[in-house]
Amino acid sequence: MSDKPGNDAHLEQGQDKEGRAGFLARLNPLETVVLAGILLIALAGLMLVGKGFYMKAKAEFSQVLLKRSFEAQLQGDTNAKPWPWADFSTEAEITALRIGKTAVVLSGASGEALAFGPARLANTPAPGELGTSVIAAHRDTHFRWLKDVKQGDLLVITRKDGTNLTFRAGTSRIARWDESGINADAPGRNLALATCWPFDATEQGPLRYIVNAELVADAVEAKGSMAEGLPLSPARSF
Amino acid sequence: MLLNTENTAKPPSRMTGRQIEYLIVAMLVAVTLALLFVMGFFSHAMAETNGSKPQRFAGYVRPNDMGTGALLFPSKEPGSFVEAPRLATDVVIDVNGPIIRTRVTQRFQNPSKGWVEGTYVFPLPENSAVDTLRMQIGDRFIEGEIKAREEARKVYEEAKAEGKKTALLEQQRPNIFTNQVANIGPGETIVVQIEYQGSVHQSGGEFSLRFPMVVAPRYNPDPIVQTVDLDPKSGYAVNDPVPDRDKITPPVLDPAGNAKINPVTLTVNLNAGFPLGNVTSPFHQTDTQTIDAMARTISLKSGSVPADKDFELNWSAIAGKTPNAGLFREVQNGKTYLLGFVTPPSGAAVVDTPAKREVVFVIDNSGSMAGPSIEQARDSLALAISKLQPQDKFNVVRFDDTMEVHFPSLVEATPDKREEAIAFVRGLTADGGTEMLPALEAALRTQGPVEPGALRQVVFLTDGAIGNEAQLFEEISKNRGDARVFTVGIGSAPNTHFMTKAAEIGRGTFTLIGSENQVAARMGELFAKLENPVMTDIAVSFDGANAQDITPNPMPDLYRGEPVVLTAQLDGATPAGKLQITGKSGNQPWRIEMDVAKASEGKGIAKLWARRKIDDLEASAYAVNDAAALDKQIETVALANHLVSRVTSLVAVDVTPSRPANEPVASTDMPLNLPEGWDFKKVFGEKPQPTLPDGQRKASLEQSEQQAMLVADRMAAAPTARAASMIADAGKQVDLPQTATLADRHILIGLMLLAFALMAATTFSLWRWQLRGLVSEARDRVR
Repeated sequence: MSDKPGNDAHLEQGQDKEGRAGFLARLNPLETVVLAGILLIALAGLMLVGKGFYMKAKAEFSQVLLKRSFEAQLQGDTNAKPWPWADFSTEAEITALRIGKTAVVLSGASGEALAFGPARLANTPAPGELGTSVIAAHRDTHFRWLKDVKQGDLLVITRKDGTNLTFRAGTSRIARWDESGINADAPGRNLALATCWPFDATEQGPLRYIVNAELVADAVEAKGSMAEGLPLSPARSF
Repeated sequence: MLLNTENTAKPPSRMTGRQIEYLIVAMLVAVTLALLFVMGFFSHAMAETNGSKPQRFAGYVRPNDMGTGALLFPSKEPGSFVEAPRLATDVVIDVNGPIIRTRVTQRFQNPSKGWVEGTYVFPLPENSAVDTLRMQIGDRFIEGEIKAREEARKVYEEAKAEGKKTALLEQQRPNIFTNQVANIGPGETIVVQIEYQGSVHQSGGEFSLRFPMVVAPRYNPDPIVQTVDLDPKSGYAVNDPVPDRDKITPPVLDPAGNAKINPVTLTVNLNAGFPLGNVTSPFHQTDTQTIDAMARTISLKSGSVPADKDFELNWSAIAGKTPNAGLFREVQNGKTYLLGFVTPPSGAAVVDTPAKREVVFVIDNSGSMAGPSIEQARDSLALAISKLQPQDKFNVVRFDDTMEVHFPSLVEATPDKREEAIAFVRGLTADGGTEMLPALEAALRTQGPVEPGALRQVVFLTDGAIGNEAQLFEEISKNRGDARVFTVGIGSAPNTHFMTKAAEIGRGTFTLIGSENQVAARMGELFAKLENPVMTDIAVSFDGANAQDITPNPMPDLYRGEPVVLTAQLDGATPAGKLQITGKSGNQPWRIEMDVAKASEGKGIAKLWARRKIDDLEASAYAVNDAAALDKQIETVALANHLVSRVTSLVAVDVTPSRPANEPVASTDMPLNLPEGWDFKKVFGEKPQPTLPDGQRKASLEQSEQQAMLVADRMAAAPTARAASMIADAGKQVDLPQTATLADRHILIGLMLLAFALMAATTFSLWRWQLRGLVSEARDRVR
């Protein structure tokens, strides 16, 4: 028994030498079809896997470029674009202190911006302004860590003018995308982070996970960046 | 080889070998089927979760859903509202010549046990001038005063925090006004009265007015299956969130029943100013009283209010008496305000052969258009190209951060070229940045001169996500030449400001397409305009009178059946002189003169003028660098005319007549004294169906009680006035974007496919191996 596989291999090799060129010819039509089908399925599988990983790689790699252009922006280069044909600009950097994650936030969550980074919704105020600023990102890339944000966690936002703002995470909840209950003009300086829910689902669904956060004024003072001009103009109504 | 040896050992087992072969094939098929089934189920499940659109709970509404005046309370569901029970509605519409004055009085009730802040939403015809707000909450009377928007909001917030009754009427969009009402006590009744001014709509000799009366589907008898936007990824689904719906859903909203619990009275005092021919109301039964040849009083027949149709009234002159021009005036504060209209002679205007057109389509395929936006843009453009006539010429320009002009120059719209262009458009994908200027330059400058007698039209499809608006406006105004620029806004949040202004400077129109199912209808309206221009280059001047402000400015082109309608402000109470209007119909010049002194008196013209003036000022925003100065200008006009606008709001001030000191405070039965000039009678008192048999009346009363209980049930009532102000929001909530990529799903399915292929390949090689055994066996035999 034990030497049989070896035997077999030997035999096969011999046969292959005989008719390598005729490998396909030796298949009957049914077999050819089956083989082609299998190959096609394998190819489709490979392409899908490749596409999936490409999307993830794009999300990771673009953050590197975005970080670079955001650094340039902090240095005062207002026209810095992450790459020449980008259809958005960088706007802020968000850091979850306890978790140790950072991402560059883009302006305008329309079209393809979300594929490259978290984006602030264009119809909400900038973080730190009066009202509720909403930043959304994909649950499977940039906001994978959002589920780990706990009540009381500090979130630091660095705006492109260099201001550092600290927000404290509050409650989190789950809502439909069109019934978010977020009012962009709500009193106070708030931040809402949104991503898709459930976190481990593989299909796109209508539910969103929202983390509310509130600006912590003291923390800013403690950091000593108050002088950089946190807009605390009183009672500017909309 | 094990099998093989066995086979050679036992010849009869050849059958077994073949059986195994069949078995393997059958297994392969079974595995394939099972896999397909699993995948199919998977994608089906996805379609279900993805497709269930706002399957709203019965009774929950949102401000944008409202088709008629309604008072909304915040509900327990964040972002949703419930409608307050509407107890009565009375509408009086006075038509004097070209001017309409509408007064709406509605009575609502707070059915809950708590203090609430309600939002009164009222959709109005575009360009209505709202100037009056009166309210009664419980036993307090409140009248709106015009104030700068921010000041008004401050007054409101302060009063609200103090627990006072207060109301604030703001303009959200030019045709949507919201009125926030704070501190409505438990069980209290609210009466809202608003008045607004508008002008009669004229088209092709028909005069008409419209009053919004659609009642939102309040209690849905069945779950609504909503077909969702035709995203290829989604299907539709029924997902009933209320399992015991039949228990809580009273069977209402049959029109007759609705009329009984929610009586609507509507009266139109029509004074047309010319001998009346036909007066019809297409959707409602009416009683018409003839006053004289020029005047009628039209009222709704009781109990006949369909809940799903706006009230519409059409009237026309007796044959041959249709006015083709009119001039009205009102004197206010030493100034004369004029309203004039002229219908150009339609005989001369409709040219035998339709005008030749030269159309340049510009489509934005930058990254911000990715997703449904580019699909809508592609569909709209394909539709537009397919509608071109063989005598027309056209070209297509696409742009992102690069740009491409499809044909070297304008080409005849032959079927071949049209198809070629449509194929080009269908192949566009959204990617890259937005560099609009080069594309605009290409469309305006490089398409060669306009042929004599032809119309040059530039149709621009974009979401307008750009930063250099000023530069683009300048390009349009400088290099437009004779071309008209039409903008089509695509997507859920296009930059309407940019596109409206671009169309105004380009003397075209702006069309907004918000979703896939609007493409056909909205583009159809646009084509009607593109194909039938009647009069262009219209100008208005006064000869002998000092006219300061003529609106609209510049005058827009006219399309079939439309009149020129203008308002103007003149110096002095008795101006003289002539009003001249000139224009061009095709190549033929047209001119008309009217004597200002012969204008007849009309009321409310000053307000119409002010409203149009505000529109013009808003439209000039692109040219003014100082936005604050412009706001100030608008504010001045609005305040002087008591109008609600973007920068001014009506805020309510308590004007309750002081109660005699000896009267007990809690005497709610005491008839309230209405302030002078207020007319709330119609919404109080007897129900308008006194002849109702006892049984029916009882039933309808029970129904309305049931309704009130349901609403109370769903309201997020606050126990105190303070908390009410915490709960209440303006209802402007943010929609969240899709934040899941399909990456994981792709990888998962890909891996499954690979695993399957691997399995199949193994099975296949086993099979081959088996066959080879058979073959070698056969060979052995031959030998």
